[in-house]
Amino acid sequence: MSDVLHFSEHTLQEVALGFMALVYVMRITWFLRRFKAGAERQAPTGSLSTTKARGILYSWANIAMPWAMESTRTKPLMYAQFVVFHLGVTAAIALSFIIPYAPGLLQSSTVTVLLQLVIGAACLVGAVRMIRRVTNPYMRAISSPDDYFSLILLTVWFFFAVLAVPNSTANGEWHLISYFSLTAFFLVYVPFSKISHYLYYPFTRYYFGKSMGYRGVYPLQHG
Amino acid sequence: MGQKLNRQIAGSMIACVHCGMCIDSCHYVLANPGDPTYAPPYKADRIRKLFKKHFDWTGRILPWWVKAGSVYTDEELEELKDIVFGKCTNCRRCSINCPMGVDFATFNRMARGLLVSVGIMPEGVAVVSKDQWEIGNQMGVLKEDYLETLEWMEEELQDELDDPSVAIPIDQMDCKVVYSINPREVKYDPRSIADAAKIFHAAGESWTMPSEGWDMTNFGLFSGDDALGGSVAQRLYEKVEELRGKRLVISECGHGYRSTRCEGPNWAKVDVPFEMESSVLTMLRYIKEGRIKVDKSRNSKPVTFHDSCNNARSCGLFEEPRELLQLVCEDFREMYPNRSENYCCTGGGGAMSMSEYTPQRLKSASIKASQLKETGAQAVVTSCHNCVDGLSDVIRHYELGMEVTQLVNLVANALVIEEKVAVPVAEPIAAEPAVVAGLPLAGRTLVVADDEPDQVEFLATVLEDNGATVFRAMSGDEALELSRREKPDLLTLDLHMPGRDVGEVFEILRKDPELEDLKICIITGRPELRKLIYGRSVRRPEGYVDKPVDEERLLLNVRKVLELAHEAKKV
Repeated sequence: MSDVLHFSEHTLQEVALGFMALVYVMRITWFLRRFKAGAERQAPTGSLSTTKARGILYSWANIAMPWAMESTRTKPLMYAQFVVFHLGVTAAIALSFIIPYAPGLLQSSTVTVLLQLVIGAACLVGAVRMIRRVTNPYMRAISSPDDYFSLILLTVWFFFAVLAVPNSTANGEWHLISYFSLTAFFLVYVPFSKISHYLYYPFTRYYFGKSMGYRGVYPLQHG
Repeated sequence: MGQKLNRQIAGSMIACVHCGMCIDSCHYVLANPGDPTYAPPYKADRIRKLFKKHFDWTGRILPWWVKAGSVYTDEELEELKDIVFGKCTNCRRCSINCPMGVDFATFNRMARGLLVSVGIMPEGVAVVSKDQWEIGNQMGVLKEDYLETLEWMEEELQDELDDPSVAIPIDQMDCKVVYSINPREVKYDPRSIADAAKIFHAAGESWTMPSEGWDMTNFGLFSGDDALGGSVAQRLYEKVEELRGKRLVISECGHGYRSTRCEGPNWAKVDVPFEMESSVLTMLRYIKEGRIKVDKSRNSKPVTFHDSCNNARSCGLFEEPRELLQLVCEDFREMYPNRSENYCCTGGGGAMSMSEYTPQRLKSASIKASQLKETGAQAVVTSCHNCVDGLSDVIRHYELGMEVTQLVNLVANALVIEEKVAVPVAEPIAAEPAVVAGLPLAGRTLVVADDEPDQVEFLATVLEDNGATVFRAMSGDEALELSRREKPDLLTLDLHMPGRDVGEVFEILRKDPELEDLKICIITGRPELRKLIYGRSVRRPEGYVDKPVDEERLLLNVRKVLELAHEAKKV
C-alpha cells in the first residue's frame, strides 16, 4: 500500500470525519437554539388510541411503510429505487470503514459480491434518477445546482465504491484512492448540501408526527 | 420571518430534498398537467429561498448553488402573493405525502402572514380580515341582524313543531352547552341554526348562544395572521367563560373547528378551561345516549361524504361523521380517496374570498368533480361551511346536479319528535299579507339591479314566481330612477355596474327621505368591492348575498330582509 493510499484511507478520512462531526454539532446546536419548538396547548383530538408518542413512532417508521402514504403506495418503483439507493449509501459508507479497519471481511466472496450488487444497483438508480431529474419538467423546475451535483457525485462515488469493494491493488491503487478521496470530499461537503437531509429527518418527522399524533391524524387513515 | 419561524417550520425549510414524491398529491398539479409552477416543492421553494438567503449557511455564501434569494421588487412580491394565496389552499395533502415530513401547508401559511404584515394580500382577504377585526365576525354581520335572525329562526321552529316553548336561548348563564356558529349561517343558511336548535331542544339540552363573540370562524388561519387568530379565538373563549358555559360546541365548519379547537389556544397563548367539541360529536353522542331518536328512512337519497381538509388532516375528525351518517342515512356511499387522503373542495384556505383566483380554482376543481361524480350519490354531505360553498361552486361549474348538505340538516330531518297534544291558541296570530296570498312575496314590489342580463332575468324570474312585482335595472342610474319612481320594498343591488358608481347610488338612496323604508340587499361576486358600500357613513344594507346565488338562497335572504322589516314595523 502506498503512502498516498494509506493517507487517503486513514488520516484523510479521520480529519474529514472530524470536520463533518464538528459542523453537524454546530448545525444541530444552531437549529435547536435558534428555533423554538411550537407547543400544543389544546386538548388532544381524534381517536383516543392516537397519542403524541404513537404519532412520533409512526412518523419515524413511515419511511419503512410504503403502504402508509399515497405517494409511496402508488409508486412502488420509486419506493424500490429509494430503498436500493439508500442501501447503496449505507453499504458504501460501511465500506469506507471496512477497508481500513476490517479488511478481513472482504476476503469472503459472498460479502464482496453482495456489496458490489447493492452498491452497483444504487449506482444504476443514481443514473436513472439523474435522467428523471433532467428529463421530467417538474423535477427540472424544482432542481438546484446542489441537487444535480449531489446526485452526480453520489453516482460516481458508487461507481468507485463498486471497484473498491475487492480492496485489491493488483491493477493499481487509483480506484481506491479515488473512492477514498471522494468519501473525504463527501464528508466535508455533505453538511452544506441537501445530502445532510438525514440529519434533519429525525427532527422534521418527530415534530410532524408529534403534532399529527396528538391531533389524531397519525396513523393515517384512508379508505 | 425570524419571528415566525419555529423548529417545525425551520425543519421543513431545510429538509426538502426535491425528491418530487409529493408533486401529484396536489389537486392543482393534477388539474394542470405539464405546469410545474403548481408543484408543491416549486411553490415551497419560492418561500424557502428567503430562508436560505437569510438563515442557511450555504445559501448566504453561495446563493445560486441552492437557489437562495430575496424579494426585491413589487413584481416579485406579487408573484409570491399569487403563489401563496392563489396556487395553494393549505389543504396539507402534500404534507402528509412527504417522505421527509416537510409541512408545506404550515409554512405557506407563515408566508401568507409575512405578506399580510406588509400589506400584500388579495383584496378579499383584506376586507374579510378587517370585518373580523372591527365587527367581530368575518362577514360583517351586525349584532342586531344576528339577534333578529335567531329570533326569526326561533319563530320558524315554533311554527314547525307547533310548540311555543321551543327557544333559541341567548346569553343564558351556566348552561352545559354554548353553541357557536359561522356567520355564513346567519347570512345564507339560517336553516342550519334552526336545525341545530331543533336537535338541542329534542335532546333536552341546557344550551345557549352568545349575543356577542359567537363567530367560531377565524380568518387568521387563512391570512396567516396569528394576532388576528388569537384575538378572534380569545373573544369566543372569553364569552364562554363569561356565561360560565361547561362546553363550547362548534357548528360544522372545518376551519372554524380547527381554529377554535386546535389552533386558537396556541395563537392566543391561553389555556382554555372548558371543553370544546364539534357539533358532529355532540349529535352522535345524543343518538348513542338515546337522548334523540332518528329515523334514517327520512334520508333515503344516496349520499356521499366529503372530508374537510381542516377536520381530517389537522384535527383527526373523520370517523365520527361517518358513524353519524350511517345512523341517519339509508344509502351512504364512500368517496375515494377519503379521510386524510381526500382532495380539497378547492374552496379552502380562504379561496372563496379571493375572486381574482376563481378561474384557476374552478379549473383545479376538476379532480374534485371526478371524485364526486364517481360516487353516483345525489347529495354530498360535508361538515364544513367553506366546503359547502366550494362544493356548490364545483357542482354548478361541472354540472353534476348534486345537492350539498350538512350533517345537522340530515340529523334534524331524521329526528323523531313525539307529537304533542294540540292546545287551542288563545290569541290568533295576525297573518302577514304574503301568507294570506299563498306566495311568500305576494304584494311586494322589488327592483333587481344587475348589469348581466342573465342574472337580472334569473333573479327577477325567481322573485316573480314567488309573487313579487319586479322591475329590472341594468345600471346604477336605472336602479336609482326605478327606486324613486316605484318605491319598492326591496332593491337587490349588484356592486359592479356601468354608469354611476354603485356606492354613490347606494348613498343617494339612503339619504333620500322618501326612500326611508327601502330595504337593500347586495348581491355580488366581487366581495372586495364591499368597501364601496360599507365604508360609507349611512345605514348599512339589510342583506348581503355572494354570487353565484341559487334560488333557495335568494329567496331565503329576500324573505328574511322583508319579514324582519315587517316584524320591526309591527313593534
